[in-house]
Amino acid sequence: MSQRKTVPPKPFELLLVEDNPGDIRLIQEAFKEGGILSHLNIARDGEQALAFLRQEGTFSKSPRPAIILLDLNLPRKDGREVLTEIKADKTLRQIPVVILSTSTAPEDVRRAYDLHANCYVPKPLDVEKLVQLGKSLEEFWLSTAILPV
Amino acid sequence: MLAGNPHSVFMGELLRRIRTSAARLLLREELAAERLASEDKMRACFEAASEAILGVYRDGRICLVNARTEEMFGYSRAELLGQPLEMLMPGRLRAAHTAHRHQYFRYPQVKPIASRNELVARRKDGTEFPVEIGLAHVDTPEGPLAFGMVSDTSKRRKVADELQRANDALRRTNAEMEQFANVASHDLQEPLRMISSYLQLIERRYSPLLDDDGREFIHYAVDGAARMKALIADLLDFSRAGTGAATYRVVNARDLVQNALANLKTALDESGAQVSVEPLPGILVDPVLFAQVFQNLIANGIKFRKDSRPHIIISAVCQGSEWIFSVRDNGIGIEPQHLDRIFGIFERLHSSEEYPGSGIGLAITRKIVERHGGRIWAESQPGIGSTFRFAISAETELASAAGGGRAS
Repeated sequence: MSQRKTVPPKPFELLLVEDNPGDIRLIQEAFKEGGILSHLNIARDGEQALAFLRQEGTFSKSPRPAIILLDLNLPRKDGREVLTEIKADKTLRQIPVVILSTSTAPEDVRRAYDLHANCYVPKPLDVEKLVQLGKSLEEFWLSTAILPV
Repeated sequence: MLAGNPHSVFMGELLRRIRTSAARLLLREELAAERLASEDKMRACFEAASEAILGVYRDGRICLVNARTEEMFGYSRAELLGQPLEMLMPGRLRAAHTAHRHQYFRYPQVKPIASRNELVARRKDGTEFPVEIGLAHVDTPEGPLAFGMVSDTSKRRKVADELQRANDALRRTNAEMEQFANVASHDLQEPLRMISSYLQLIERRYSPLLDDDGREFIHYAVDGAARMKALIADLLDFSRAGTGAATYRVVNARDLVQNALANLKTALDESGAQVSVEPLPGILVDPVLFAQVFQNLIANGIKFRKDSRPHIIISAVCQGSEWIFSVRDNGIGIEPQHLDRIFGIFERLHSSEEYPGSGIGLAITRKIVERHGGRIWAESQPGIGSTFRFAISAETELASAAGGGRAS
C-alpha cells in the first residue's frame, strides 16, 4: 500500500492547454469533485501556452507549472507543434507533458510519444472516469514520481 | 498379232511409246491442276485472313500483302508492293524499325513482338493506330522471307483505358468516403462528450434536488449518449478497417488467435468458455487488422451462447490455393434467411437488451477479410450452433498475394 506523502505547503501549479470552454469547465469541476489540490492554470491556445511557460508579456508573473495537460486539437498553433516547441526548449522540456485527446488512433498515439510526450490519455466520456483521472494524475506525478526542481 | 514382220514390230513399239508419253503428259497435267487447285485454296485463305499479313525480303521492300492489309492501311496493293515496309509506320519510328529489321534478318526467328512498347502503325490518310505483330519467316530460293501478322489493337486498348479510368475514379471515391467517415466520426465525438458529461455532472450534483422522474430522464439521456459514443467508435473502427495503412507479414494464425484470446480474457472467464485451437497455418496478412477477425468471431461465439458453456473450435483446411478457416460455436445459431444480412453495417438480429453491441463487428470482420482478398460466410443450425468460415490465399510471397505491399 503506497503512503501518501504529506501535503506540500504550496499547491502544485498545473497548466491546462485547452480551447473548448466546455472541456475547461468540465475538467475544473471534475478536479474539484476529486479533491485535487493543485491549482489549474488555463491557456486557451498554443501561443498563450508558450507565452505562459516563457513568462512573457501579460504572463510575466505566471508560475512555472509542475505538469502540462495539453489538448492536441488547438486553433492556430496545433498541439503537436506546441509539444515540439516545449520539448525543444532547454528550459521547458523537463516539465512532464500529459497529452489529452479525443483520438485513440494508433498513428496519433505513436506520433505524440515520438515527439516526446510523457504520456497520452484519451479524454473520457464518463465524468466519473475524468474524476479518477484527475486523482490518479495528481497521485502519480506529484506524489509517486519525483519531479525535477 | 502380226508375227515377225519388222515393220509391224516397229509400229507396235512406236504406238506403245506414244501411249506411255500421252499417259505421262496427262498425269503431269493432272498433278499440275491439283497443285494449282491447292495453291488457289491457300491463296484464298491468305486473302481471307482476319489479320493483315505482310512479307518482306532482306531488302525490306513489301513483296506480299493480303486483302486485310489493304483494308487496314488504306492502300491498294499496287501502292504497297515494292515499297519499303517503313512507309506503314509514323516517321519518328522508322529508323528504329530499320535497325530491328536488319537484326531480324541476321537472326531470323519466330516471335511475337510484344506490345509492351507501344507499336504504332500509320494509315494512308496519316492517322495512327496501335498494333500487335507476330513475326515468322520461311526460307525461299530468293533468301529468307519474313512475314508478319498485324492486329489492329485500337478497340482493345480503348476498352482497357476506359476500365483503368473507371477503376481510378472508383478508388478515388472510396478513399474520399472513408476519409469522410473517419473525419465525421472524430468530429462527432466532441459535442457528444459535452452532452454526456454535463448530463452526468447534473446528475451527480443535483440528484438530491430531482425527483424520480427527473433522475430517470437524465438516465435515458446519458444512456443514449453512451450508445451513440459506441456507435461512433464502431464507425471509426469500420472505416479504419478499410483505409489506414496496412503492412503485410507472414504470421502464424495461431499467434493471432492467442492475441485475440488474451484480449477476450474477461469474457472468456465470465462465460467459462472453452476454446479449442487446431493446427493453423502461417498467412500473409496485416497482423493488427487480422487479429480483429479472430477476436470478433470468437467474441460472437461467446456472446451468442445458449445456457451451456460456450465451446468454440478454430481450425483450418487447405483447399487448392487457399486456406479455409472455420470458427465454430455451440451457441444459439442463426436462421438461414439471416446468414447474409448479419454481415451488414449495424445489422442486429436481437434487441440491445438481449445482446449488447452495435451490430458492426461482422461488417468490420468482412471488410478486413475482403481487404486481404478473401471472402467470409456463415453456416448455421438454429439452436445448435454456427460456423463462420473465411478463405484466405495460401500464397505467402509478398509480391504475388492479393493486396500485398504497403498502405493499400
